[in-house]
Amino acid sequence: MKKQFVWLLTAMMALLIVGCASQKGPAEQVIAGAETALGAVRDQAQKYVPDQLQAVDAQVQSAKDALAKGDYKAVLAAGPGIMTAISGLKDAASAKAADAEAALSKAKDAWSSVSTDVPKMVDAIQSRVDILSKSHHLPANVSKDSLAAAKSGLDSLKSTWSDASSAASAGDYTGAMAKAQAVKDKAADIMKSLGMTS
Amino acid sequence: MADETPPAANNPYTQTHVVVAGDTLSKIAQKYYGDPSLYTQIFEANKDILKDPNKIFPGQKLKIP
Repeated sequence: MKKQFVWLLTAMMALLIVGCASQKGPAEQVIAGAETALGAVRDQAQKYVPDQLQAVDAQVQSAKDALAKGDYKAVLAAGPGIMTAISGLKDAASAKAADAEAALSKAKDAWSSVSTDVPKMVDAIQSRVDILSKSHHLPANVSKDSLAAAKSGLDSLKSTWSDASSAASAGDYTGAMAKAQAVKDKAADIMKSLGMTS
Repeated sequence: MADETPPAANNPYTQTHVVVAGDTLSKIAQKYYGDPSLYTQIFEANKDILKDPNKIFPGQKLKIP
């Protein structure tokens, strides 16, 4: 009886060891697969959804810790969830990248229009400022102060416009548009102050 | 010296003035610049439609640089 029990215990332990060993390979494959899948989306995820990437990294790290402890069952159990999380990460990063691409395209189109408009506004203001500077008496709707402000404002416009052009040349169309819009608004104010809009 | 294209040409942001009966370039210069002697600025900017600064006609659309 005792001999039979020892034999049974030995057989059970052997089965347990074989069972554990048989889970090690699949568990390692889960980790390797997760790392490969994550590596493929890491750069884009880092750029567009860094917080979500951090959460998935934590999931993978937890599974790696379990693998190191020999808890293959936990690794196998976590596998589907990790792959789902990586898939979600990829979708989210792709969606954000598409949004960014659309915004860039929109900014490029807007820049194309504003880069034609603004220099013409500046030219028109410069022309009027030059002529009014020769005038012996300003028109009734233009004060000396507004002419002086227009002169200094023109310098500011040109400087900001130069910054906007540099940003566009560097591919930063969103930044360029922000500056260009500021120039356009300021130019409109100056034109109004010089009576050029009536 | 070669002719220069006035800055007002083809610029949609250049102000315009539609001539009415009784207008002269001097009166228009007075209105927009406060100085009638600056009428030449308007004449120069509108040489494409004005041949003589003393001859403007109601309905003409002048650029005011």
